[in-house]
Amino acid sequence: MNLNLLAWNNIRGSAFRSLVVALSALLVASFAVSTTMIMRGAENSLRLALERLGADILVVPQGAEASAETALLMGVPAEMWMPQSNLEAIAAIPGVEKVSPQIYLTTLEDAACCSAPNMFLVVFDPATDFTITPWLKQNVGGELKLGEVVGGHYVFTPEGAENILIYGYFVTLVANMEPTGTGLDQTMFFTLETARDISRISFSRAVTPLVIPENQVSAIMVKVAEDAVPSEVAIDILQNVPNVTPIESPNMFQAYRKQMSGLLSTVLVVMGITWLLSFVLIGLVFSMAANERRREIGVLRALGATRGHVLRSLLAEAGILALVGGSSGVLLAALGIFIFRKTIVESVGVPFIFPSLPSLLLQIGAGVALTLVSVTLAALLPAYRISRMEPSSAMRE
Amino acid sequence: MIELIEVSKTYLLGKDQQVQAVKPTNLQIQSGEFVVITGRSGSGKTTLLNLIAGLTRPTSGSVLLDGHDLWSLSDKEQSLLRNQTVGFIFQFPSLLPSLRVLDNVVLPTIFEESGAVSNEKYARAKELLATVGLSDKLRAYPRQLSAGQQQRVVIARALLNQPKLLLADEPTSNLDEQTETEIMELFRQIHTTTGITMVMVTHTSQLVRYGTRAISMAMGQVLNSGD
Repeated sequence: MNLNLLAWNNIRGSAFRSLVVALSALLVASFAVSTTMIMRGAENSLRLALERLGADILVVPQGAEASAETALLMGVPAEMWMPQSNLEAIAAIPGVEKVSPQIYLTTLEDAACCSAPNMFLVVFDPATDFTITPWLKQNVGGELKLGEVVGGHYVFTPEGAENILIYGYFVTLVANMEPTGTGLDQTMFFTLETARDISRISFSRAVTPLVIPENQVSAIMVKVAEDAVPSEVAIDILQNVPNVTPIESPNMFQAYRKQMSGLLSTVLVVMGITWLLSFVLIGLVFSMAANERRREIGVLRALGATRGHVLRSLLAEAGILALVGGSSGVLLAALGIFIFRKTIVESVGVPFIFPSLPSLLLQIGAGVALTLVSVTLAALLPAYRISRMEPSSAMRE
Repeated sequence: MIELIEVSKTYLLGKDQQVQAVKPTNLQIQSGEFVVITGRSGSGKTTLLNLIAGLTRPTSGSVLLDGHDLWSLSDKEQSLLRNQTVGFIFQFPSLLPSLRVLDNVVLPTIFEESGAVSNEKYARAKELLATVGLSDKLRAYPRQLSAGQQQRVVIARALLNQPKLLLADEPTSNLDEQTETEIMELFRQIHTTTGITMVMVTHTSQLVRYGTRAISMAMGQVLNSGD
């Protein structure tokens, strides 16, 4: 028997009160951790997507900025075209080190000739590409051959099949990229040579042929020289190349960042209200409990408990309940997010990647710590007041 | 052992209302005495007992326990003195409902410097529970005991730290006549065998026969200090 065991016995002895406090702690912890996890997951997702794109500036046809970002972030296929001649025009701009074209395509939906329906396809030119090719060299050990594709993290070959069927053409999945939590995870990447072959075959084997307009590209990836300023290069592109929009890497996905920022403000307000209500509720419960137990506390004082003992015992109760409720809350939140992450992405409309183990542990630890501090603070005033009471007054009905 | 010097206690009931529960009182209780304080309800006897125990601060005067002025001590010193020197028996059920009988008896030990209960204390608690006839109830919860049995557990708890002073506030008021007699006989036995100083408050004047000295109170005043 010791002071902590006494606190534990009091918790067991007042099941309903303990349940209310633990549930409040669970609410605070789960809400704090789930919102932090979603917001951080979305931030990380954007960061990884930018890293994966690997360009300082993405040039798209004027007016196609939103659909390009939606395609890259959320995997919603988009087709956009601009003259290939823009490539030379951009390459000629001072400060531009490398340029490489990309073509964005989509597989057919509900067609027997496509085993992966409505999938976003990114075609790149291995001769000039500086975004996917380095990854291929590092992870596949070379370049993609004709008919080979590399997939985002969640692209897979259908069960029982050896290849993926696109427009009646069999492609071989040679590798999957690391997850980003964005639409890039459901995107397939292949070379211009493969794309042209698919297009050729599709005319005889697909329900609808894959048409790649001649001398047209969807987007141009730009790498800026080390001594150049990306924003100045972007302005030059805007001024010298007609009907295009250059998007600087830090400004990419602005619409999503704004959406996230709005979401964050709402979440912070709701979280603040939840925290405040829980704080008041826990304070009230502890105040009532302290009042109910006045006589018991008076007896403990008579038996030799100091004011410090009483305070410590009551705060230990609060601490235990915070730990139990808080730990359950953060684990439930993490589990819930892990299970329902697809639904969350769809309903919230932002990309999301589940945190790495160290980051997850850090967020769980922070959530439990926040709950511990909140519950202890809420219990502090009633515990302090009762501990300062004269024993005889405490014992009086 | 105990000395009250011009001790009084006034309670504030409102902004302008106050009641003097104990009027200025001088009282000395020697070691080994069994003092029974009697008086009607509201006579101030419980307040006087609380003043002796240091459970309430006197409005005026000093309370000396073994030569220590209780109210010149810090909260920690005063609590330790209570823990080591004084045993309490209350009028109301004072066992912790969430603890088993044995744990209730060793409860005062957790407020000692060490903060933990030694095996010796558990052995002493079992011995005391055997003395009060409850060695078969060690693992029972208070709700599983009768009122008389609960009061016996409280007596065992009060004696755990071998106190010099045992204070009892109406210890038999909630008991039937037969249990009252049993408890009072137990008090007499404890007093005789240990020589402990005892102060008991009761409204039942017949119980003064168990004590070695009787004090009567009325209207906050000690009428007869039995000296």
